[in-house]
Amino acid sequence: MELTTPGVATLRRDLDQTGRDAETADVALAASGDGRAFERLYRTHVARIHSLARRMTGEDHADDLTQDVFVRAWSKLSTFRAEAAFGTWLHRLAVNVILARRTTIGTERGRYDDSEGALDGVAGRAHPAGLSLDFEAALEQLPDGARQVFVLHDIEGYRHEEIAELLGIVPGTSKSQLHHARMALRRHLE
Amino acid sequence: MSDTWTNRLSEYLDGDLPDKERAALEAHLPSCADCRATLEQLRRVVARAQALDDRPPAADLWPAIARHVGVVSLNARRARRRVSFTVPQLAAAAVALTLLSAGSAWLLERRQPAQRAAQSNTTPSPILTNAGTYEANPRYAAAVADLERVLAQGRSRLDTATVRVIEKNLGIIDRAIRDAQSALAADPANSYLNLHLAQEMRRKLELLRQAAVLAGART
Repeated sequence: MELTTPGVATLRRDLDQTGRDAETADVALAASGDGRAFERLYRTHVARIHSLARRMTGEDHADDLTQDVFVRAWSKLSTFRAEAAFGTWLHRLAVNVILARRTTIGTERGRYDDSEGALDGVAGRAHPAGLSLDFEAALEQLPDGARQVFVLHDIEGYRHEEIAELLGIVPGTSKSQLHHARMALRRHLE
Repeated sequence: MSDTWTNRLSEYLDGDLPDKERAALEAHLPSCADCRATLEQLRRVVARAQALDDRPPAADLWPAIARHVGVVSLNARRARRRVSFTVPQLAAAAVALTLLSAGSAWLLERRQPAQRAAQSNTTPSPILTNAGTYEANPRYAAAVADLERVLAQGRSRLDTATVRVIEKNLGIIDRAIRDAQSALAADPANSYLNLHLAQEMRRKLELLRQAAVLAGART
């Protein structure tokens, strides 16, 4: 006989709903100028936004971009409609802010190289035995285009059509970049 | 080592390969150890990517963000406070307004019979005439229309929560005005009703003024 725990499920659902209601209230308060409510929103979402920025652009730019995202969010709170979760809205805003800066950042770093040859360097990079490159560090070594496609598709769950639109490429290029990124990263699984 | 199928393995993994090519690759896999090994590695890369933990920045970025958005700027806060209200403040105002209107209606219900009797033999006082024509006063109507126009133009600059509370308050006042007008239609000489109507109309004008200032200040 199957045992079910509807009480736990209901409680979890209620807690989720309570959390969403509290966040919706914080969004409304922040939109009316309440800095403390906005700080609560920041604390809830900063890890996800900072991780997205770090993976998309590298450690050096993640702090600046995270600040930009939240400053932009503050000024755009009045445009938020509660049809979507605030986290979803903020994430989409973050992607737009990060992608708007990506060309500048790539130029500053001097390695805005999306050629397939650039991927070979990551795949074949030698490192001492037993000191395998951390997966996230290996991710940062990928050329910008392949890294952005990989982050958006495999980590953030975007579809190739959406990625193509965001990056101004065709879906076929997105698929190709994704495959090359995965092929390079498989060397750094351990 | 790679063959003609190596570059299609990610598409296969993601279910993006057309049916015909998928079938051909599945026929190829049992006889190709390299493709099977690569496919397994790609699967592990995807699983690893999906299992990555988010981590916060090493340093707290909030103080810098707070400075940017003006949360800690005393001047900005003072300026904001002059013209804006927090949602709890507006909500509290709505509650107070509701209680006030309900209390007024209750008082009306209690006082009307006695007042009707008392007023049946008296001449209407000047305020009766004033209140009765208050809404028809062209200056009042023009002022309300002007403020409503300013508010409509600045509405998009207000956040939705603020607009919602303003509209709720205006709705409460409009209902109180309609109730008073209905009661006055039945009892035009009632001085309390006239006074109440005049107060509600002034209240509407004041709320519209505040809302218009708020909308104009958010430019």
